[in-house]
Amino acid sequence: MMTTTWAITDDVASWVVITTAALLVAAIGLLVHELSSRRQRSWLIFTSGVLAAACVALATVRPVVVEARANLVGPRVAVLVDESRRLKLRDGNSTRLERAEQAVRRVVEHYAGARTSVLGFGEGPLEPLSLGPDSDIATRGSRSDLSAAVRDLAGAAGERPRAVVVVSDGRFSRPLGDLTDPQLREAVGALGVPLHTVSVTDETPDDASIRSVRAAGVAVAHQPLAVTVEVGCAGEIDCSRIPVRIRELRDGVPPAELATGVAEIKDGVGTVELEITLDRAGGRVLEFSLEAPNGDVIPENDTRHMTFVVARDRIRLLHLAGRPTYDVRALRRWLKSDESVDVVAFFILRDSDGDEPGAPSFELALIHFPVDELFTEHLRSFDAVILQDIDAVRYRLNSHLARLAAYVQLGGGLIMVGGPSSFAGGSYAGTELDSILPVEQPQDDKAFDAKPFVPRYTEAGHAAEVTRPIRELLGDSLPEMVGTNFLGQARPGAIVLWEHPELTVAGKSMPVLALGEAGDGRTIALSVDSTHRLAFSPMAATVAGRAYGALWDGLLGWLMRDPRYEAARVEVVGECIEGEADTTLRVTRLPGMRGKLELTIEPLTQAGGEPLVREIPGDSVEPVEIRVPGLKAGGYTAKARIGEAPPSRHDFACERGGVAWADSRPDRPRLDAIARATGGTSVGLDGIDELPLPEATRVAAQREVAPVAPPWVWTLAAAVLLGVHWVARRNSGLL
Amino acid sequence: MAGQGVRLSRPNLLSRRSLLCAATASAVAGVAPRAAAFGQDGAFHPRLLLNAGRPLDAAHTSGTSRWSWELIRRTSAPARLTVGSVAADSTELLAEPFTVWLGSEAVAPLSEPEVRGLRTYLNLGGVLFVDDSNPDVGSFGRSVRQELQRVLPESPIVQLPQQHVLYKSYYLLDGPVGRVKGLPYLETIAAGKMLRVVISSHDLVGAMAQQRGGGWTFPVEPGGQAQREFAMRLAVNLAMYVLCLDYKDDQVHAEELMRRRGRLRR
Repeated sequence: MMTTTWAITDDVASWVVITTAALLVAAIGLLVHELSSRRQRSWLIFTSGVLAAACVALATVRPVVVEARANLVGPRVAVLVDESRRLKLRDGNSTRLERAEQAVRRVVEHYAGARTSVLGFGEGPLEPLSLGPDSDIATRGSRSDLSAAVRDLAGAAGERPRAVVVVSDGRFSRPLGDLTDPQLREAVGALGVPLHTVSVTDETPDDASIRSVRAAGVAVAHQPLAVTVEVGCAGEIDCSRIPVRIRELRDGVPPAELATGVAEIKDGVGTVELEITLDRAGGRVLEFSLEAPNGDVIPENDTRHMTFVVARDRIRLLHLAGRPTYDVRALRRWLKSDESVDVVAFFILRDSDGDEPGAPSFELALIHFPVDELFTEHLRSFDAVILQDIDAVRYRLNSHLARLAAYVQLGGGLIMVGGPSSFAGGSYAGTELDSILPVEQPQDDKAFDAKPFVPRYTEAGHAAEVTRPIRELLGDSLPEMVGTNFLGQARPGAIVLWEHPELTVAGKSMPVLALGEAGDGRTIALSVDSTHRLAFSPMAATVAGRAYGALWDGLLGWLMRDPRYEAARVEVVGECIEGEADTTLRVTRLPGMRGKLELTIEPLTQAGGEPLVREIPGDSVEPVEIRVPGLKAGGYTAKARIGEAPPSRHDFACERGGVAWADSRPDRPRLDAIARATGGTSVGLDGIDELPLPEATRVAAQREVAPVAPPWVWTLAAAVLLGVHWVARRNSGLL
Repeated sequence: MAGQGVRLSRPNLLSRRSLLCAATASAVAGVAPRAAAFGQDGAFHPRLLLNAGRPLDAAHTSGTSRWSWELIRRTSAPARLTVGSVAADSTELLAEPFTVWLGSEAVAPLSEPEVRGLRTYLNLGGVLFVDDSNPDVGSFGRSVRQELQRVLPESPIVQLPQQHVLYKSYYLLDGPVGRVKGLPYLETIAAGKMLRVVISSHDLVGAMAQQRGGGWTFPVEPGGQAQREFAMRLAVNLAMYVLCLDYKDDQVHAEELMRRRGRLRR
């Protein structure tokens, strides 16, 4: 196909053309103004003037004739396929994804004369798809953001498509479903071309699901948190009332039942507000589940697992001491100096079996030690318990030790501080509490040793963040301790920070200060009762007594999982979805942490499970990403250990489907609205043949350019006309 | 088996009763002894402050052993029956957080090392109990007050309020008494809620002083044995305050103690 057009020569800049045109118009205007004021008009003067000016202008812009040969090719059509995980939902005997693949093939077939490109959208940038006979579409991400996909397409280099075909079920993350046509055009109209839509399904499945969970504010330990659970129910099932349950998944113990309620469903949706109280700070894995009606065809979205990050407003401690000493004084003084710590303390000031105060009880400032009340009613409200030199039998703690051990297993903290009535000396050996301490206890009659000694840092003690504050003050020096409780060897997984320089157990130095984990909780064993010398002693005076606070800051901070005292930070990159891509965990070392990285992942179940262990050698300070395949839905705890330092823990949730499957209903009205707003056509799988074909694209194959006249012709004509114009003016007396 | 491999043996733990029996005749040692048994390192120890090398008044100082004895007898707190002494310019002053400064005559001005030593001790959280053995004359009390102003020039000496936890740290008390009735209040230098110095014009230690044969060294006036009992109760409260600080100000005690206080006043 041949076409001929006129143009201005290519080597003249636009501003020259504009200036020339402006001067030509100005010259003609002046000429008209001059001649209009004369009584006798001279057409020769006007004509020659206009033609002379025009010739000058043409000599400047030099017009050319363009002869082009053009071909017509098929229009470019972009097919956007929804790749969100939602497309994996079942639809009859197939999945929506399989139906989407069918739709894409048929669209490509329908637009056989067009140049079609198939692109996938979901989370992240557009991805080109190749649909061969054996290739499938892979899903990616929970979201399907059509607005971002269209924007990316509009911003891409190259030829813009003449039409876009969107293949989806319509349940987009964006644009939302309740937008007006102008709003929809704003959201998906960046290309300025019609968006045709193909709905992969119009069938609403018989399904009840937890659509969303919203918390009113931030979760704070020990404080009630209002949680709103939105339940959706659609299809031909009994959707009137659906029971909902919230549980907390914990390590090594059964899940804790936090709340139950019933969602009253109206128009396919219902909400239930439940109040839960989480007692432990940090990441906690909650399970939200509903009791689905009979006939529910998608049981995978009946349960959601979510990680709640629980903040701690204040630390609430229970401090029990068997007798008042300078060691008790030092600990109380430090605890009370911290505004963020609430201390509930009970010190045994009088032993009713032996002490003789010589006064009736009403003249004494002593109250009954409410041991039963504390351990049955209030224990759960504390973040940690400190047992300092208190005899378990004499003060009737022994009947509550199993409860105290369970409390620790459920996430509480425990510190046992040395003294004649601590550890085996306080009848703790062989009890339920013994089993959760980081060290074993001797069961013979040797409860303690009186010989003074100076504890020694272990290799782990040198590496641990928990001891960094005190080491910064005192280096490796520690004050002399007057005796110690006899302790057994460290339990598996426990970390010994201080050890005895002379006493040994099982061929190793006896632990003096050890850290351990028990279920969800943490425990500390300190075998001495002289750490008050870090607060008050000649050595303490060299650092103004700050060494005591430095030690206990670290111990309590570690016990409460303060990130400052962890060796590493563990986080999940992206989502953890059962059956999808590998879960990626990123481990970031704290500055200065040396040694190999060992990452252990275990399910948060009562029975536990086979731990998955990854070892990364080396000391690299760069964050390490570790891919973990095959995680099932549920809660997990990841423990990262750097070298000899105590492990850092991070609990996280894995889901089956997750937010992508929370709402299984297709949204055909949204697809219709998008098509209508952009001038496109909305069809189902059966209507793909009705999609309109855009106009063909014209492509130039050959182009010839020739000047209308050489430049000297325009110049000569202008000179001649100017001469005629000059003569005419002289004859009419205008010069 | 747990605990296998522990090599060193341990001494037998003395029972509280046997400890008391063994120590009834204890005396004041010339140098403050350090704790030598497990569990005794944090025991209450009313050690005496040496005053410019002057010999201690033996008639009064026996009262500090009795103080420890009474604390052990009446409470669960451990205490050191053999009481030592310590100089203000010695690093040993920083070994324990309680010191008693008693005397009956004006003290010589403290040397600069003694002032610095006491200042470090008090700034570190130590408690100094000043007990005037001769409050009728008062020269000791006046001179000590002058020296304390040198040690802590920014901290005034004020009356200890009757509601202070010191009066309820073990016994419920209405006020201070000692060998003499003295002022109806104690005086103090405090840092916030923490008492740094407690000043008694009641010869509290004198009320507890014993002769070697077992009798009381000084008569107690004007209340006799009843007053001596209340002096001992004050001493026990002071020891308990040193060991537990403001423990009895905790909310868990407040309601019950208020009720008992009301009953006592009726």
